[in-house]
Amino acid sequence: MADRLAAAVAAVRSQVGDRADGWDLAGLIPEPVLRELGAAGLLCAQVPAAYGGQGLSSLLGGELTAETGRLCSSLRSVQTSQGMAAWTVERFGTAAQQRHWLPQLTGGRLAAVGFSESAAGSDLSAISTTVRADGDELVLDGHKRWMTAAHYADLLVVFGRYEDGAAAVLVPADAPGVRIERITDPLGCRAAGHADVLLEGVRVPAGHLLGGAALPLPLLVTTALAYGRMSVAWGCVGILRATLAEASRHAATREQFGRPIGAHQLVAGHLAELLVAEQVATRVCEHASRCWDAGSAEQVIATVLAKQVAARSAAQAAATAVQVLASAGARDGGVVARAYRDAKLMEIIEGSNELLGLLLAQHALDLAPKDLTPKEER
Amino acid sequence: MTTADHRPTADTTTAATTTAPGSAATGPADRGEPIRKELLRFLESRTRTSWLPDTDVFADGGQSSLFAMELVVHLEKSFGISIRGTDLRLDNFRSVTVMTAMVLRLQQAAGGQDG
Repeated sequence: MADRLAAAVAAVRSQVGDRADGWDLAGLIPEPVLRELGAAGLLCAQVPAAYGGQGLSSLLGGELTAETGRLCSSLRSVQTSQGMAAWTVERFGTAAQQRHWLPQLTGGRLAAVGFSESAAGSDLSAISTTVRADGDELVLDGHKRWMTAAHYADLLVVFGRYEDGAAAVLVPADAPGVRIERITDPLGCRAAGHADVLLEGVRVPAGHLLGGAALPLPLLVTTALAYGRMSVAWGCVGILRATLAEASRHAATREQFGRPIGAHQLVAGHLAELLVAEQVATRVCEHASRCWDAGSAEQVIATVLAKQVAARSAAQAAATAVQVLASAGARDGGVVARAYRDAKLMEIIEGSNELLGLLLAQHALDLAPKDLTPKEER
Repeated sequence: MTTADHRPTADTTTAATTTAPGSAATGPADRGEPIRKELLRFLESRTRTSWLPDTDVFADGGQSSLFAMELVVHLEKSFGISIRGTDLRLDNFRSVTVMTAMVLRLQQAAGGQDG
């Protein structure tokens, strides 16, 4: 599997080259780049080989995500969306649905996933998009916000209310009633193809409902988001690697007061912080990925922890790196300027710092010693 | 008198008819025992609270959405099953007894498929 990772990393590097700055300034990734990486299965590299995927473990898939994020967080965001779409199909789809959709997702078709709405951000229980059965069709109505990669997508995985629970439905982006409005001025990940998506009486075959049944909304979104959180966490490791490398390179070569600025202790302190942050985030992500690969239930909380640590570290590190580069890092599009804007969004997407903080606090409370009398005997 | 005469007969009949299916009925119960034990252990380690087989896991709403996912992952890993589609309904995770029944059913279905 390590060989496959090396080949995957080489393919991503050759597609990105030195073009990430330009993509950021233009706000777009050229479509052939996405199509070629998609057709090579590199936008959702953990899909099993049986479905045309790379079959990477969470750990190696994470390393690929980090490398992509080191080069370009917009491309990594597209990868996160595609991977989350594939994971949702894998986790909730029937065997027939997996056989139908997964080869498309590893074959060049691009996908986006829609959770957020104007009244449903951190509180996804407020999702108001509806899915209803009408004969052998489903009808969808709703308005999704900030759907990453939707501008590029052929397929939208839409989460909505269905019967007495919720469902995830695969909606072709060109279905009548779908309107995709690209957000042209995002703060970060500017080329990730964010869009607002309007669904008005959109009709798809009943077989597009994953698993074929209503499911509890919290379980559905928590499970789908878990992949996204892991992917964002590894992407943030990539941001940390990029900022550490760029700040170190600059501090070793830029001279002030007759010596490299890295020899000034206050600047050196920044470099130490960056190194610590990159290492800590890497280890926390590795631990979470190993929990996924082992099938351990700890993966659930370890994923939240990894996302929280990596996103916060990346945002802080990016600000520090801009400080070290100073005017050399102050041009838009450059590595640390991109990192500064991109990392800030990572503290919001797939669970804000505050929401994840609440989940971690709940976990701490769960593990606190309590009255051990069985509930029904109290 | 007739009642007294009938009673032992009835009892014998009941005993006789329940003996053979009885072993079948206690069969699944025995196979369920290690599952129940493991689930109680997991719940107790995860919540630091004691649980009875029929305690409603989600009754007081105190369990987070993360917890439901942990249960799914733990059941799949521990008992070699795959939980999909309608089986993911919360009703199947309400209590240790209910989860045990689902595990036995899915194990049987998977065994049937393999054979």
